[in-house]
Amino acid sequence: MHHNSLTQCLASFFFAAVVGFLMQRSRFCNTAALRDAMLFKSYRNTKAMLALMIVTTLGFTAFMSVGGGHPIEFEVGINQLVGLFLFGIGMVLAGACTVSTWVKTGEGNIGALWALIFTFVGMFLFSLFWSAYYWPPAPATMSATPNLKGLQFGIANAATLQLKTGIPAFVFGLLQTGVLGGIYYGIVRRERAMARARETAKTETAGVEAATPATVTAVSDAGAA
Amino acid sequence: MEILKKSLDPVVAMVIVGVLDIFLFLVVGAWTVGGGETMITGLLAKAAVGDELHRLPFWVYVFKPSFYYWKMYISLGMLFGAFVGAVLSKEFYWRVPRRMDEWVMITVGGLLMGIGIRLAFICNVSTFFAITPQMNLGGYLAVTGIIAGAWVGSFIYKKVLES
Repeated sequence: MHHNSLTQCLASFFFAAVVGFLMQRSRFCNTAALRDAMLFKSYRNTKAMLALMIVTTLGFTAFMSVGGGHPIEFEVGINQLVGLFLFGIGMVLAGACTVSTWVKTGEGNIGALWALIFTFVGMFLFSLFWSAYYWPPAPATMSATPNLKGLQFGIANAATLQLKTGIPAFVFGLLQTGVLGGIYYGIVRRERAMARARETAKTETAGVEAATPATVTAVSDAGAA
Repeated sequence: MEILKKSLDPVVAMVIVGVLDIFLFLVVGAWTVGGGETMITGLLAKAAVGDELHRLPFWVYVFKPSFYYWKMYISLGMLFGAFVGAVLSKEFYWRVPRRMDEWVMITVGGLLMGIGIRLAFICNVSTFFAITPQMNLGGYLAVTGIIAGAWVGSFIYKKVLES
């Protein structure tokens, strides 16, 4: 399964080169999308993340309705929840996720390279653990060795939904788009409300106006970091 | 070249990435990073210890080291694209973390990311931009996990910065 054609490898490289360029130029960061929303109530990256999720939800589910594309087929398990919980702590501490470690390394950031090296170390440590116990559950679809059945739920995605209900996957995709769009709209409304609150604060304290703009700059700097 | 000096709106950039991601989904699979990083780990380990690596079943059954693995080229492509972008906009320069606690946080963070990816079998990119858009149940579990983790991480991050 880990043998792709040269064309597929080249297509991946070109795709990623454009992505890396766009990420570098836009300073998008998935870590910042979550961290800044939680710590600083700054949503610049969160909106971009939602926009990307909306576009891909529409595209993927449309092609999955007609059996096209290459959806990931693996068994869902409780390990996704636990693994990404650990990942979530790690990415905020490291200040970068899997994308921004590569992008920031490309900009000459030694801290990001260091995070990358220790991601490799973490993966190798995990491989030692896995090899000793064959656990946590590697999905049967990936390891050819099914284990820990109780914590594995089988394959479940838009395509299996279509198979079970007879309703095209794209309909479910539209529902999900609606939810994501709703969150996006909620953020835009919140940003407007915050901007209005700042305006009022500014007019009220016309004499000491320096305070508010200073905080705003600090926040946007943190977002770009 | 003036246009290269201006920062792009991330929403515009990500919509373009989304359209490209749909093409990649048709050619080989949706954008993901963790698997490629694991393969790089495997190739590095193989370069270091040779065939001894096959004593670890993980590198036989789950990730057999191979140069023909598309996800690896995702990592290399992003590194290359970002390097070109940084050089063209004259933003390439060496940045080194100064404080000791930053180094510690980055080291622990990197380890947690590596372990978390392999435990979950997915990374943050596949969570948000591959399997959740495919409406995979694992995506919803993973989004829940990463939000909870980012919340805990933000709490620790704030405590360390304040101390």
